[in-house]
Amino acid sequence: MSSPFSINGGACVAMVGKDCVAIACDLRLGLQSLTVSNNFPKIFSYGDVYLGLTGLATDVSTVSDLFRYKVNMYRLREERNISPSTMANLVSSSLYEKRFGPYFVSPVVAGIDQKTGKPFICGFDSIGCIDFAKDFIVSGTASDQLFGTCEGLWEPDLAPEDLFETISQALLNAVDRDALSGWGAHVYIIEKDKVTKRLLKGRQD
Amino acid sequence: MDTLVARYSQPMFEKEYSEEDQLELCQPTPSLSLKFAMPPIAQPSAWLRAATDDHANPNCPIKIAHGTTTLAFRFQGGIIVATDSRATAGNWIASQTVKKVIEINNCLLGTMAGGAADCQYWLAYLGMQCRLHELRHKRRISVAAASKILANLVYSYKGMGLSMGTMCAGVTPQEGPALYYIDSDGTRLSGNLFCVGSGQTFAYGVLDAEYRYDLTEKEALELGSRSILAATHRDAYSGGFINLYHVKEDGWVKHGFSDTNPIFWKTKLEKGEFSNVTSELV
Amino acid sequence: MEVLLGITGKDFTLVAASKAAMRGATILKASDDKTRALNKHTLMAFSGEAGDTIQFAEYIQANAQLYSMRNNIDLSPSAVAHFVRGELASSLRSRKPYNVNLLLGGVDPITDKPSLYWLDYLASLAPLPYAAHGYAQYYCLSILDKHHHPDIDYEQGLKILRMCTDELKRRLPIDFKGMLVKVITKDGIKEVEYDDEARIACP
Repeated sequence: MSSPFSINGGACVAMVGKDCVAIACDLRLGLQSLTVSNNFPKIFSYGDVYLGLTGLATDVSTVSDLFRYKVNMYRLREERNISPSTMANLVSSSLYEKRFGPYFVSPVVAGIDQKTGKPFICGFDSIGCIDFAKDFIVSGTASDQLFGTCEGLWEPDLAPEDLFETISQALLNAVDRDALSGWGAHVYIIEKDKVTKRLLKGRQD
Repeated sequence: MDTLVARYSQPMFEKEYSEEDQLELCQPTPSLSLKFAMPPIAQPSAWLRAATDDHANPNCPIKIAHGTTTLAFRFQGGIIVATDSRATAGNWIASQTVKKVIEINNCLLGTMAGGAADCQYWLAYLGMQCRLHELRHKRRISVAAASKILANLVYSYKGMGLSMGTMCAGVTPQEGPALYYIDSDGTRLSGNLFCVGSGQTFAYGVLDAEYRYDLTEKEALELGSRSILAATHRDAYSGGFINLYHVKEDGWVKHGFSDTNPIFWKTKLEKGEFSNVTSELV
Repeated sequence: MEVLLGITGKDFTLVAASKAAMRGATILKASDDKTRALNKHTLMAFSGEAGDTIQFAEYIQANAQLYSMRNNIDLSPSAVAHFVRGELASSLRSRKPYNVNLLLGGVDPITDKPSLYWLDYLASLAPLPYAAHGYAQYYCLSILDKHHHPDIDYEQGLKILRMCTDELKRRLPIDFKGMLVKVITKDGIKEVEYDDEARIACP
């Protein structure tokens, strides 16, 4: 039996640009070698913050539902949207609550702080250790490949359109070297007051 | 001192081949004796299996490239042979451009599934044997005989971790179009239609639904290529390019090594197949 | 070797399940019904560990029916699917998880849109135009990839289903004793006459 993190497959990446961030994921849901669905997005939006979840598909759904509930409760109590850095701490503490029976997911948070206008990205391990990064965050079965493509393609202060090109190429070329992810991708380009969502038609093999 | 001088004054190449080895080289056919270096332990076969068999031991230290879809079927115009081209080591895609059809000679083809090195080596060896047969008997070897050489060969190594699932396809005057399936267990079957590899079931699905013996050449080529496409789409360990061959009485003809990506989108957008794949953002 | 198949079309969803109830090397029954109606237009087909399957299915059925009685309205197929997923997901991390794979076929009573949900024992949920469980996935998904279109009518749906069951008869080494086929339309759930007598030989 393989690791719970690589039963269903999937990949996610987030990147920082100039006054913008991008987050992208693939669309595969598989059962080991079998591809079950080609339309299983792994990025979820919570107001101004975006959460990417790779790992065990059941936990991707469970955790995304859990945060929908928690973020909605936050919004009702505080009468404002959650900020990316608060979200990061919420994700971290929620995951650590399951320290001895973790959710098998590797989350990625991306967003722009609406107060300061600063881009924010971070990643986590499955029990909530936050990995802050100024450049990019990768997760999923293609994470090794994504590290390679991101290290090669990313540069500081990319404009939104250039960031889109960079993150798309990084993701598509990484998943083309991973058997368990790919089959199309979603890309979100997040600017202060505009979000663009695009579908990438990747290789279907 | 004399012994020392004697040892170093020997001609350089004399020691290269022992008498036994030289005798072996003079023989018309290399014998099927187990000439490969074996692990120096009491039970080499058990050790090899533990070290190389992914199924028995997922943490096995020697990873052999697996994952494939290959198919071959007989029809009125000869035999169609088609394969994908992906090589994987675990989840890592090691190559997308592997040639899994091995041209044994100009009228015999072999396909490759399982251990890449095992298939490549032994099908090349089979090619050698077939050529020797031709020289000795002044006529081409039958597919039945060729496949039997391979089957007997792999059977002699049974239990030592060889991993191959292969098909031999050829057309000879005495047999007509002939197709054999041989695997490393020692199984050898003749038949009309075989699919081998991790994507075999997906290929069978498409192939069985529309297979007839009286397919035209065009239909047969299209069906073979479409079956591989189906398997590359659903099987994570198959993909890359579609390698397509048609075997006829006067030899085989290659019908391209084509990237699945443009073929997939053409099939989807023009014929409306693969309706599960999203092409528009909703 | 249990077979579950589901196909959606223009205005219907077909759900098919094999009729054999097997224990070890024995077929205990050759007319088993591996489906339960959850409400007027949602049908659940199930396979997996003996005992777990029916216990879980009837637990879900009871809860779906309780909801319908309390609120005088049925849950939509999508709502049922997410409810089932929640139950299966919480069972997954319990002391004794249910080992059940499910297909949920339905037609939305308000929009009349057909839908099909695939759920495995880990509670991974995927909405799909056609789906299968067990070995059937490996043989049938490629056939459905080629022959399915979202706007097929009922007759075409049955024809594709026939291609799938023929292939299973041809290639599966164990006889699954034919299929029980049900269709869900906006008018409700109906069993379909499905002739299973023909023997299919390998080419």
